[in-house]
Amino acid sequence: MKSKKLIIVSVIICMALIVALLPLMSACGPTVEKTLMIGMSTPSSGKAAEKGAPMGHGNLDAIKYVNEELGGVAGYQVEVIWLDNGYDASKAATIIKRFMDEDCLFFTTASSAMMTAMMEIANRGDFPGFACFSSPALTHPPRHIYGQTPDYGDDWAAFAKYYVENIWEGPGKPRMALHLLNNPTGYGARDAARALADELGVEIPEGWVMEHSTTTTSEIESLTKFKTEKPDILYISSTPAPTAIIIKNAVELGLYPGMTIACGHASFTKALVDLGGADIVEGVYGVYPTVNWGDDVPAMAKMTEYCNKEHPADYGNMDYIISWAQSLIAVEILRLAVENVGIDKLTPQVVEEQGFKKIKNFDVEGLHGPVSYSPGDNRLSKSVRIFQIRSGKLVPITGWVEAPLIKYEDFDWYGK
Amino acid sequence: MDELLQLVVEGIAIGMVYALIALGFVLIWKSSGVANLALGQLVLICSWFTYGMLVQRGLPLWAGFVLVILFALLLGWIIERFILRPLIAQPILSLITVTLGLGYFIQGLVVFIWPWSVGSLPRLFPAEPLHIGTAVVSQEKLWAAVISLFLFGLLSLFFKYHKMGIAMRATADDQMAVQACGIPVTKIFSRSWMFACVLAAIGGILMSSIGGITFGLVETGLKAFSVVILGGLNSFLGAIIAGPIIGLAENLGGGYLTPLTWPGVKEVIPFVIIIIVMFLKPYGLFGEERIERI
Amino acid sequence: MDLPAGTRNYSYAQDMAILRTKTHWALFLGLLIFIFTLPLYLGNYWLGVANLIGITIIAATGLNILTGYCGQLSIGHAGFIAVGAYTSAVLTNRLELPFLVGLICAGLTAGLIGMVFGIPSLRVKGFYLAISTIAAQFIIIWVINHWSSVTGGFVGISVPYASIGALTFKSEGSQFYLIIGLTTLTVFLAKNLARTRVGRAFVAIRDNDLAAQVMGINLFRYKLLAFFIGCFFAGIAGSLLAHWIGFMNAEHFSLTESILYIAIIIVGGLGTATGPIFGVIFIRLLDQILTMWVVPFLEETFTVLPAGFATGIAPMAFGLAILLFLVLEPRGLAHRWQLFKAAYRLWPFSY
Repeated sequence: MKSKKLIIVSVIICMALIVALLPLMSACGPTVEKTLMIGMSTPSSGKAAEKGAPMGHGNLDAIKYVNEELGGVAGYQVEVIWLDNGYDASKAATIIKRFMDEDCLFFTTASSAMMTAMMEIANRGDFPGFACFSSPALTHPPRHIYGQTPDYGDDWAAFAKYYVENIWEGPGKPRMALHLLNNPTGYGARDAARALADELGVEIPEGWVMEHSTTTTSEIESLTKFKTEKPDILYISSTPAPTAIIIKNAVELGLYPGMTIACGHASFTKALVDLGGADIVEGVYGVYPTVNWGDDVPAMAKMTEYCNKEHPADYGNMDYIISWAQSLIAVEILRLAVENVGIDKLTPQVVEEQGFKKIKNFDVEGLHGPVSYSPGDNRLSKSVRIFQIRSGKLVPITGWVEAPLIKYEDFDWYGK
Repeated sequence: MDELLQLVVEGIAIGMVYALIALGFVLIWKSSGVANLALGQLVLICSWFTYGMLVQRGLPLWAGFVLVILFALLLGWIIERFILRPLIAQPILSLITVTLGLGYFIQGLVVFIWPWSVGSLPRLFPAEPLHIGTAVVSQEKLWAAVISLFLFGLLSLFFKYHKMGIAMRATADDQMAVQACGIPVTKIFSRSWMFACVLAAIGGILMSSIGGITFGLVETGLKAFSVVILGGLNSFLGAIIAGPIIGLAENLGGGYLTPLTWPGVKEVIPFVIIIIVMFLKPYGLFGEERIERI
Repeated sequence: MDLPAGTRNYSYAQDMAILRTKTHWALFLGLLIFIFTLPLYLGNYWLGVANLIGITIIAATGLNILTGYCGQLSIGHAGFIAVGAYTSAVLTNRLELPFLVGLICAGLTAGLIGMVFGIPSLRVKGFYLAISTIAAQFIIIWVINHWSSVTGGFVGISVPYASIGALTFKSEGSQFYLIIGLTTLTVFLAKNLARTRVGRAFVAIRDNDLAAQVMGINLFRYKLLAFFIGCFFAGIAGSLLAHWIGFMNAEHFSLTESILYIAIIIVGGLGTATGPIFGVIFIRLLDQILTMWVVPFLEETFTVLPAGFATGIAPMAFGLAILLFLVLEPRGLAHRWQLFKAAYRLWPFSY
């Protein structure tokens, strides 16, 4: 038994030594060249993998392009910690802490739901970040979280304005029905409608706000009553699969063509055309905050080259574009901060003051509307483009349309 | 009146689609007493395989279907042989959890092989809806209903008259007696899983033609549980009848209750039905009540 | 508990003690000191992981009491955690009540709702009960999403810092002490529950509930009590989770979470006090390792692999872990730990 005691004692001493030396080990590492470190998180697995995976690819490919071909930002390489949050809120909460621990200057995410999991922690730690897809909860009231593109409510406002000005011909107000996904994507449109419908001149009668889930197989029962009540527009704020089903059902019931159908940017992608069938979705309007593949803008050539080289399966996916743009904006923020203050003085708060808040009219090489910060408005880009599906292709029919700012915090029905 | 007819027709059609998936569940329960909670994921992987065959390889329809059926048979055999067989005498919690783990694994596998989460099959049925009076119903749903009824008939006859079907029923009743009679129990389990996977594949193809291949197929699998609970876990007749009932409840509830209560009430109706059934008639409409003795 | 040779028990208290010998006490105190000094040298990220592990242990202990000790299968645990989280959020945010009130109310509300949804357990068992708990989760999430006047609906609700009196738990370290304190309390309660009359009744119900009823155990009372206790702990965990993340949204509580909890207690070992601890540590660390190191490593070095490789690996690894544990070691890590302890005691003898 003596040997046993010896073993126990030696194990305990070893563990005590390891525990005591842990802080020392982390303190001395090899000296590395200065890099600009940012954190990026996308839901590349799990429920939202359809959007998250290409977005992760877009983010990383753009940074690779900047590092390899443009020599980084002001000569310094951009180092990215990319982590997959799996659309899991508690994992997202640990990821943001990892970013903060590893001294990242700011972070980016793809989805607004994951941003809600991270935003309190980031706001409490004065750690700035921005999300591709935004929702009112992130940017109202404005703190350290920014939205890269207008949110789903802004989509609604932009389209409603366009419709009233360009398509509506009758007397009086057009009557609109809303079909919403049962999550912030859908309800963002409803909140915007609540705030602005009267002002824009659109009527949403009682009982014309409908809800569906991502897994719905048929929405006939919610559309049936419209056979008699005949709305003028149906606005769908959802993701591609349910939108395709709703449009298919509308065609089956004979409601469409007849009324106008428009979708928010969460569903307005090539997947909608594939799922619904090009003949079914012909003529549907949509809103999207970026250009489409093949449009003639400065960034298109490099983006197409890297996409085909690194992730050829993602070609044609609009989410890749928006995340490539996100990386370009991140690089611009870093560039402004380094230019204004120099690399040695950079901390997250400094980057927010000198980078995020100083960005003005950055055109993201034409990929989406110009990015500018205005005080009180944490949306970095405020414009969208209206598209229409013609012969199975998403064709833009307007230039950049600015979505009006909706001050949700002024309404008492908006939660804290 | 028009609205009512439309809702009724749609409800029955959609209900038959749920019933088709429920049949797969009942099959496994009836022959081995295992609750297959990975049903939705099996439907998902079979649908994606169909996509792989028809769209990625571009095979003609008939070849694609034959391959999908073969794939489903192989999948069922693999699952039974390597995952269920080592757990034959374990308590029910382990069996349920192993199917949950299997579902998780299959979901990961699907993302691994087909990294897009939305896929669409080539159009299998014409897009023109059928008119029944003033109501319309899409052809895909009609075909799904017809195929479910056909399969139901086939399964009932199989279980009643065919030697293998009778052996399956006997195994569910008393495994030891069946082994004493010389029937290889493991072979029966194998066969039932293989058939169930084929049912899942057929259900998957039909559902994908209605709504595309998305992760929503997994959640529709959950709605199939409400069909199974209402109809009785070990009754095919129960599944076929409960399916349209749930579909009707969803549609009528969605159509008429929504203006009165909240939008979105349709989503929660199948689950409220489950709770009500639990309180009133736990074994379902046609289920067999197990008498337990100490 | 196996005791070293030469230890004799002279009183009932000595026989029933959890920590019997001086070695037990020394190791236990060493463990406590180790845990409570963690904030001194761990960074924010690892403390965050430790906090998540603590919260999960509380919820898993509740589920263990319900499913492991009492045998009532429940796959809707995430729903009850959501009830606790939202109760605490609403009470501290909208009604501005103190954190402790929110915590206790969260536990009580979750417990009561658990009892309501546990009523079917009086008529059905096994798979039927599992399905009704899944239905319970969906109904709870639906109500949370649609009762927007109270819960903020789909937008979500923000949660202020936890605070007791003048002490606000802002930093990760202070939250760590709060959470780990509650975790040790919970594990202690669960361990002792198993040794009381109530615990023995639970085990009897699990093993054969008809026989238990024949022996005079009131099934109605004890099954509902099991649901209450299990969901009470879930509510406490939910409240802590709400204050830790800072913003609540019903999307955080999906069916996948519930399935994860079942996996945790199975991997850890059903019906043991240490089972949930092992299970939680294993699953959460596996999760973190996959997310933080394996996936980025694969994504960066092996870009030639198909696009879904890195991202499909995580769920596949999890599913595989669950399957392998069930097939190879159905009694979980706690059983392995017992085997290890026994082998250590008898080493170098092979029996």
